[in-house]
Amino acid sequence: MDKKEVLFQKLSDAVLEMETENTVMYAEEVIENGIDAFEAIDKGLSNGMNRAGQLFEEEEYFVPELLMCSDAMYAGLGILKPHIKLSTSADRFKVVIGVIKGDTHDIGKNLVKLMLETSDFDVIDLGRDVPPADFVRRAKEESASIICISTLMTTTMDGMSEVIHILNTENIRNQFKVMVGGGPISQNFCDKIGADGYSVNAADAVRLAKKLAGAEAALK
Amino acid sequence: MDVFSPKERLARVLGNEKVERPPVICPGGMMNAAVVEVMKKTGHTLPAGHYDTGMMTAIAQDVQINTGFENFGIPFCMTVEAEVLGSQIDYGTLECEPKIAKEKYLSVSQVEFKEIGAMSKNERVGAIIQAEHLLSKKYPDVPVIGSLTGPISTAASIVDPMSFLKELRKDPQNSHRVLDYVTLHLIDLARLMLDNGSTLISIADPTATGEILGPKMFREYAVPYLNRIVDAVHQMGANVIIHICGRMNSVEDYVAELRSNAISTDALVSLKLLKSKYPHLTTMGNLSTFLLQDGQADKIASHTQKLVHDGINIIAPACGLSTSTPLENILAMTQAVKEGEK
Repeated sequence: MDKKEVLFQKLSDAVLEMETENTVMYAEEVIENGIDAFEAIDKGLSNGMNRAGQLFEEEEYFVPELLMCSDAMYAGLGILKPHIKLSTSADRFKVVIGVIKGDTHDIGKNLVKLMLETSDFDVIDLGRDVPPADFVRRAKEESASIICISTLMTTTMDGMSEVIHILNTENIRNQFKVMVGGGPISQNFCDKIGADGYSVNAADAVRLAKKLAGAEAALK
Repeated sequence: MDVFSPKERLARVLGNEKVERPPVICPGGMMNAAVVEVMKKTGHTLPAGHYDTGMMTAIAQDVQINTGFENFGIPFCMTVEAEVLGSQIDYGTLECEPKIAKEKYLSVSQVEFKEIGAMSKNERVGAIIQAEHLLSKKYPDVPVIGSLTGPISTAASIVDPMSFLKELRKDPQNSHRVLDYVTLHLIDLARLMLDNGSTLISIADPTATGEILGPKMFREYAVPYLNRIVDAVHQMGANVIIHICGRMNSVEDYVAELRSNAISTDALVSLKLLKSKYPHLTTMGNLSTFLLQDGQADKIASHTQKLVHDGINIIAPACGLSTSTPLENILAMTQAVKEGEK
């Protein structure tokens, strides 16, 4: 392995091992050695985060670990991002994400946001307790491709179908893909309200978003 | 004629004594049965019932009479503990339960410790224990369940949950201090409830799941503090039920270490298997709340009867009920237990 590859591996490992300081140190080494920052993010930081997501799916890592890995990743990103040449991220897909009105539990939403960002989606976070109309308004304003809605509470699930209803009423349903997830949500519920996809966890959400974005790209 | 009163039956099950059929209950707190249909029928409504003694008492009574659940369950939310410890609460609406509007602290290292006694000074706690007192006097044969939010969930309701979860790893010392602090206040709240007429305590700790914490954190942070509350309540001479949310595969062995009188689980868990693996556990649950909300009455009855047939000790919903759950469906569940197989 050449020096570049070794550094990428170290970056990836540092993220996976939740070592924020080492991640920063290797990111600085990338810059000092004139190595391409975008490649370092992709093959180092993102790679480490993807491996963390893998361990999360395999139930070796849990939420605290995944959050620690993301802290390390963002610390590295803070160093590398100012050195990226701009053109590389022009064709990123935009996602608006939020927790539906009535609910303030946002751990799941934050994990999905994090994993989507890791996979090079441009994520606009609407926060928690978001009214259905706001999802639609912001998705239009941002020209987003995907609307991603989360809830933990059964009492707020109706808000998800309300988003779809508004899209239908405004005749813009086909402009957006709608993803749903969260504790009480199931594929069955997703089908019932006419959403485009359900994912069971954050790693699965990335696969779904990529699939939906792919379908979107094919239409354009 | 029933052999036992609802209170005797539940006490016997929790004491590992024989009963003619399992109790069917809904303990309040996270598992609140104040569904919209009941409130519309009676005119006693939330959110007023979250802080007004008269309304709270009336709703608890309406629920018990209309649903057939064999207990009173108070409060109807999981926010009072965090309110006392400083967080901002949004009391919600008729259809939607209260929630934390804003956690008080950004980090476990910032938590300012309030002195024990804070619970008894809070007006909403006052309303809760007053309602429990009134119900216990009026209905001596029906158990009054005092519902607590567990220590991990309470801590994650006063400290930003994302920071809190990270700090369980990054700052174990302060994490333990906060959990210790929260636990002492929860024990104090349990004492207030029991002193004022509650028959037993039910703890739900939805942030303390195997899925969120994983086995290592569950063992280090969830089990010891839950057990401290259990031991304290036992010393006060009362029984305790603990509800664990989500899948339990990764933490099953540690759940079996909880010293509560019964373990209640989510619908994803096979209580029959759990019981065969850990015969000492008294099991409670776990009728799917989706089935309760959307299912047909006859299907709800047959699923309920299957739980009874499987030897589940206490029949209850598996999770928080949707407030739009039809009363007819809840009745199908409670009647299926009371009438047995037909």
